[in-house]
Amino acid sequence: MTIPKAYRKPYILAVALAVLALGTAIVLVAEPVRDLLASRVNPEPYDIERMVLLYATLPRLSMAFLAGAALAASGAILQQVLRNPLASPTTLGIDAGARLAIAVTTLFIPSLIGFGRDIVALTGSALSTLLVFFLVRRRGFSALAIVLAGLVIGLYCGAASALLVLLKDRILASLFIWGSGSLSQQSWDPFLSLLGRLALAVIPVLLIIRPLSLLDLDDDSVRALGLPVKKLRVAAVAIAAALSAFVTSAVGVIGFIGLVAPVIARLSGARRFGERLWWSTVMGGCLLLLTDATLQILAGVTAEFVPTGAVTAVIGSPLLLLLLPRLKVAARPSATATPQTAQAFSVSTVVIVGTLGFLLLVGLAVLAGRGPYGEWQISSLAQLDYVITWRLPRIVAAASAGALLGTAGLILQRVTGNEMASPEVLGVSAGAILAVTLALFVFGALDVFWRDVAGMAGGIGVLGLLVTLGSRSSISPEKVLLGGVALSALIDAVVGVLSATGDPRAFLLLGWMSGTTGGTTVAGALAAGLAAAVLISVSVLPSRWLAILPLGDSPARAVGLSLGRSRFLLLFLAAVLTAAATPIIGPLTFVGLMAPHIVQAAGIRRPLACVFGSAIAGAGVMTVADWVARTAAYPVQLPTGLVAAMVGAPFLMILLNRRVATA
Amino acid sequence: MTLDDVSVSIGETAILKPLSLSVSSRGVTGLVGQNGSGKSTLLKLLARQQMPSRGTITFDGKPLHAWRDREFARAVAFLPQHTPLATGLTVRELVSLGRYPWHGALGRFSDADRQKVDEAMSLTSTAGVSERFVDTLSGGERQRAWLAMLIAQDARLLLLDEPLSALDVAHQLSVMALVRRLTLERDLAALIVLHDINLAARYCDEIIALKNGALVARGAPGDFMTPARLEEIYDVEMDVFRHPEMGVPVAYVRS
Repeated sequence: MTIPKAYRKPYILAVALAVLALGTAIVLVAEPVRDLLASRVNPEPYDIERMVLLYATLPRLSMAFLAGAALAASGAILQQVLRNPLASPTTLGIDAGARLAIAVTTLFIPSLIGFGRDIVALTGSALSTLLVFFLVRRRGFSALAIVLAGLVIGLYCGAASALLVLLKDRILASLFIWGSGSLSQQSWDPFLSLLGRLALAVIPVLLIIRPLSLLDLDDDSVRALGLPVKKLRVAAVAIAAALSAFVTSAVGVIGFIGLVAPVIARLSGARRFGERLWWSTVMGGCLLLLTDATLQILAGVTAEFVPTGAVTAVIGSPLLLLLLPRLKVAARPSATATPQTAQAFSVSTVVIVGTLGFLLLVGLAVLAGRGPYGEWQISSLAQLDYVITWRLPRIVAAASAGALLGTAGLILQRVTGNEMASPEVLGVSAGAILAVTLALFVFGALDVFWRDVAGMAGGIGVLGLLVTLGSRSSISPEKVLLGGVALSALIDAVVGVLSATGDPRAFLLLGWMSGTTGGTTVAGALAAGLAAAVLISVSVLPSRWLAILPLGDSPARAVGLSLGRSRFLLLFLAAVLTAAATPIIGPLTFVGLMAPHIVQAAGIRRPLACVFGSAIAGAGVMTVADWVARTAAYPVQLPTGLVAAMVGAPFLMILLNRRVATA
Repeated sequence: MTLDDVSVSIGETAILKPLSLSVSSRGVTGLVGQNGSGKSTLLKLLARQQMPSRGTITFDGKPLHAWRDREFARAVAFLPQHTPLATGLTVRELVSLGRYPWHGALGRFSDADRQKVDEAMSLTSTAGVSERFVDTLSGGERQRAWLAMLIAQDARLLLLDEPLSALDVAHQLSVMALVRRLTLERDLAALIVLHDINLAARYCDEIIALKNGALVARGAPGDFMTPARLEEIYDVEMDVFRHPEMGVPVAYVRS
């Protein structure tokens, strides 16, 4: 079979990127350099321009290339070892751990920050990585388990530090900038120290290239070739984690490069792992350099305040979207290796037990609370009337949103066969965020109604985009996922820039994004409940497709399933479910990610049972989250969406930890 | 099933040279040939898994693309060469999926459906493992589970791509006997890709041989099993003798 010409030359894209990046950098430094050379003739004793060039601009550009390259290498290794094109340092919770460590230390032991912020960040990353390993130790360090544990820990740390920021915004405002990755430099020292640390990792990376290339085969074949898969996986994840932790500790969280560079390298034709690693490193470096130099030229002096990490997606996403049509859909070796030994629960068992448990939760959430002076109390029947009026609407709204998102997540994970798929990834939430952001900045303050309208409109806009893309050809799930990721990252970048500028509206936005159920009216609760009831009933209809599609394309077609149409309808359904939930709870709950995994970890597998189970699990998590949000920091109301991650994640961690590998 | 001047090529390489052929609508037909001779491609074309580069295929006088998805699946069942692991499904659930073309996404899973599933499992002797997970079965059990799904599909034409590859001798014989019995009792047709020419000779009504993407021979086993023809197909010197008890032709490699 011949390989199309375009697929053979990753260096064309790499050279183009390099030329662009260097060109932009040269434009940036051309004038100061000319002045510098001219001043050689009659040097001035104190030349600010010269000092800025030598001790700020040049180190910053070097830092950009180095950080981009290291993150891309880390992402390439992770995508290979975890066999998932969505894996990246961010999804493994490495930078979320660093961020939480810095937030906690700033609040409670500020003297440690003075001692060395990078040490604190490194410790945080190391702890979160170790926790991932700890959680998966009993499941044979399987790729699927690592991905799940990384996601859960990342979510947990992310939600925890976001909560801290919301509660202590004055103290932690600087975390915003660090958290979005600022490349500003005042000397060469950070660059040199990062270079030194990364140099330590070069030899392990080189040593691991050949064993990692074997992972293109499935686990059994790799083992048959005499490679200890478990040890390799642990070593590779540890090396990748070290690479990105070094970068994070030096410059803060720079997301997306670690995901996009390896994907771009693959799409531009790097086939074998060695090639992919090399070209993603080069492309990642060039991409971040290009982003940073462009940012400095455009933003001028204010460049100091716009963190580069927040805008990497501005160049990376369009490039990814541009290359996406070239994606060859290859059946990736399945990440699931553990045979299911769990009992097969019937649909009725799941529904009955789940509903009973859920009602019990609702009852507790309604009755238990805190009185006017903050004391804990269980409401008596006499107070029921008043308690129901105030507490029930928000519980209903939260539970409905949880049920909607849980169902959406289940459908997405089944259709794409990717355990990392979630409503957030589909881009619907991102569309909602963008619309609300625009509305907020164009019209100033928004009341709840118009905010929800804007959110819905944004979600539906992305939905429309999906429809047009989807109706053209039979959809490949991997394309939809990567496209959604690119779109989300792009929109996140816009929001990140706005937040980092310190605009007070950014805090409004952050508040909405973290999902508040406090102001829910009775009408709002009824609407949410109705939407959930109707849409989840509809989701039951295609449950047979959810059983057939995971079998693979060929058997699905053989039993007469139209792949294009069924996939498209299911994706559309998931998007509608998400769009309905977003106005209620905000876009960042991750219930949609967690609920299907909770259901699976509980041993429920049948599609129909999974649909109901995920809906109930989502509703349950959100009910608890809403209760915690209402009572934990009373009288302050915490954002329910953020609390959901903090409630759901530990639950999932326990389930992960419990299950013993049978392989 | 009739092929009219059908060919498949990828780029410059012809996988299947222009081929006109009609496949019998009853009895067992064996498809033999070297590796890479185009057997699997031909089967995928007939199963509508792949579109021909040119030419048309008709089934029941109707071109393949004019069939609706489920209507076609009710008439033609296909077992791919590599069956997926089917993680997290029990054997019964897998076999039940074969009824999808009949009840569709929303239709009721009726008693008739359940009966077909039970029947298919007992025919393939998979009833004993019906509550086990497919991914915990042995290779042979798994292959029979997939075969059961195909039988539950209740189609008129079975397309099987190397259904015997994971089976021991006893199960190979029992699967071939089962296919033969089904074709007789239910008036079905089966087209089977086989590597064992002797099994083909024993159980098939007709054998079709491909080489380098072209048809080289077809005929009843008695006419087909000649040393010259076998050497032409496999490029190996072969000879044929009569089975001492059954009288069917048996081929062996000469040196």
